[in-house]
Amino acid sequence: MTMALLRLNPITRRRWQRFREIRRGYCSAWLFGLLILLSLCAELLVNHRAIVVHYEGQWFFPTYTQVLPGTTFGLDYSYETDYKALARQFAEDDSGNWVLLPPVPYSPYETDLESDEFPPLPPSLSSGHLLGTDTTGRDVLARLLYGFRIAIAFSLLLLAFEYVIGVCIGCLMGFLGGAFDLILQRLIEIWSNVPFLYVIMIVASVVTPSFWSLLLIMIAFGWTGMTWYMRTATYKENARDYVTAARAVGASGRRIVFRHILPNTVSTIVTFIPFSITAGITALTALDYLGFGLPPPTPSWGELLKQGTDNLESPWIVGSVVIAMTTVLLLATFIGEAIREAFDPRVFQRYE
Amino acid sequence: MTAYFIRRLLLVIPTFIGITLLVFAVTRVVPGGPIERLIQQNVMQAAGSSAAATRTGHTLSAEQLAQLEAYYGFDQPTLVAYGRWLWRVLQFDLGNSSRYQDPVWNLVRERFPISIFYGATTLVITYLVCIPLGIAKAVRHGSRLDHVSSALVFLGYAVPSYVVGIGLLTVFASWLDWAPLGGFISDDFEQLSTGGKIIDVIHHATLPLIAYLSGAFALTTLMMKNALMDNLSADYMRTAMAKGNSFRRAVLRHGFRNSLIPIATSFGNNISLVLGGSFLIEIIFNIDGIGLLGYESLLERDYPVVMGILVISSLLYLIGNILSDLCVALVDPRIRFGAS
Repeated sequence: MTMALLRLNPITRRRWQRFREIRRGYCSAWLFGLLILLSLCAELLVNHRAIVVHYEGQWFFPTYTQVLPGTTFGLDYSYETDYKALARQFAEDDSGNWVLLPPVPYSPYETDLESDEFPPLPPSLSSGHLLGTDTTGRDVLARLLYGFRIAIAFSLLLLAFEYVIGVCIGCLMGFLGGAFDLILQRLIEIWSNVPFLYVIMIVASVVTPSFWSLLLIMIAFGWTGMTWYMRTATYKENARDYVTAARAVGASGRRIVFRHILPNTVSTIVTFIPFSITAGITALTALDYLGFGLPPPTPSWGELLKQGTDNLESPWIVGSVVIAMTTVLLLATFIGEAIREAFDPRVFQRYE
Repeated sequence: MTAYFIRRLLLVIPTFIGITLLVFAVTRVVPGGPIERLIQQNVMQAAGSSAAATRTGHTLSAEQLAQLEAYYGFDQPTLVAYGRWLWRVLQFDLGNSSRYQDPVWNLVRERFPISIFYGATTLVITYLVCIPLGIAKAVRHGSRLDHVSSALVFLGYAVPSYVVGIGLLTVFASWLDWAPLGGFISDDFEQLSTGGKIIDVIHHATLPLIAYLSGAFALTTLMMKNALMDNLSADYMRTAMAKGNSFRRAVLRHGFRNSLIPIATSFGNNISLVLGGSFLIEIIFNIDGIGLLGYESLLERDYPVVMGILVISSLLYLIGNILSDLCVALVDPRIRFGAS
């Protein structure tokens, strides 16, 4: 399907070719994709539930199934099985039963009470906390990975909604022009000047923001950026000869917008996407940092950042988040630059 | 052209009213306003003293409540209260802070020097470094200087300044102990000599300044470089060289001047940055600037201060936008605003 599309459109194919030739951006895109893939199967990599349990000749795959009570494995409790303890017990019994734990056997919500020391615990190989624990004894790596997944999902949803609203309204403004354009311009100017943080804080004081309500507020205040771009782009396209020609042939306004203007403007929107993703992650993290973001105990980079700055004597917390954020944002920026270059290749001439 | 700018200035008025009215209306429907806060304080005080503890209910009488509502204008409909507020603002009276009881203007004025210090220093250093760096990067495109500085610039571009600030704080203030953990000046600032005062300010200001600069730097450098790269391949550069100008002279006298246009576009917007600062950086480094004041008054529901800062920041933003256009018109005579 994609191949057919690419074959149909030589411009897109050339852009893709150019993008692949920009090594830095292309490699970043692969790495970024890999990170997203890893976070999608986070339950298999970083989880308190075992991947496979072999017990009395039976096979169990607890990762995605319902909660298996301890009685399932002949233990004396009916709450969820503690697979780490189970693994140790099986190893001691030497009865042919075994447990395959994920590489990092901790969930992002789990407080590690097995250690005698008070959290936060520094990184160590023996405890399995590769990046240490936070102040309540939760594994930092687990919080990072699940936090990344939430942040990426959040910013992808955010950008999808923002773009749809922004493109529609911006295109209408540019196409209709006149009083409609002028009035909407003023309204958007007012709207985008209302301190966004203020509204978030007010909402947070009335109800605890959830993933969706936070998304809704951020969409409500974020869609304006795209309208400005679309408005100008539509104005430009509208004034070009091919639109006049289409009009002269008797094409309706709807046809001109959907068949001519939108395809010619929307293709460049791809160049904004990586930067919108970084902006989404940055904004969500800042809100979480201030305590107005996703409710605890949702794993979040901002919350870890806050813990880290409050406990600078445990530098593994703040260090992990800063490095993770830098890596992810840098990758996205590299991709963005490469896409931009692929869409708009410039040959610079020098007269020397 | 003049007509265009007059029209733009006039359009500031409805936009300004729209912004302030919207926020004003919101402050009136939100729970936890100043009156509720006072009631709460009273209840807490009452609970503290044993004599008052025998009394039940909240400690303010209906009469006192009405007085308070009148004081904060909560007894009038929103539009009337807004009108009164706007009328006072027009007389340069921003009201009194409900938290400190001081005039809002005094609170803001106390913090102006700190915000201006950071804003202006950032602006000056940005232009002083980024314009030459952008030129060097464009002229020596592909050289080692270009690659090394690109890496740094990209880092600054990708990572938000508050994360840069947190990183710097961790490494240089907490781990290496080279810089203080925050604040604008030391506690013993008054006892220091003039030289000591300057060093003290620099000592406190270095890390936040780097955080401020990291974002601004990347943008301005890239803008300067890209604009000059475009202009270097323009026909007039060939003409200038063909007439016998040296490359250096052609770049400085022709290419450079044309490349300043995008920089000029962003100048006006920097005005609001100079005064507003970034409240996140101010929170991280505990700098008592306008940004921190605004944030704290939001937390404390100190509406007069919130509205006062909103008035100042939205005016700066709106005027900054017009100033940007004016700068562009001054630098680039080809641009004719308003002439369609």
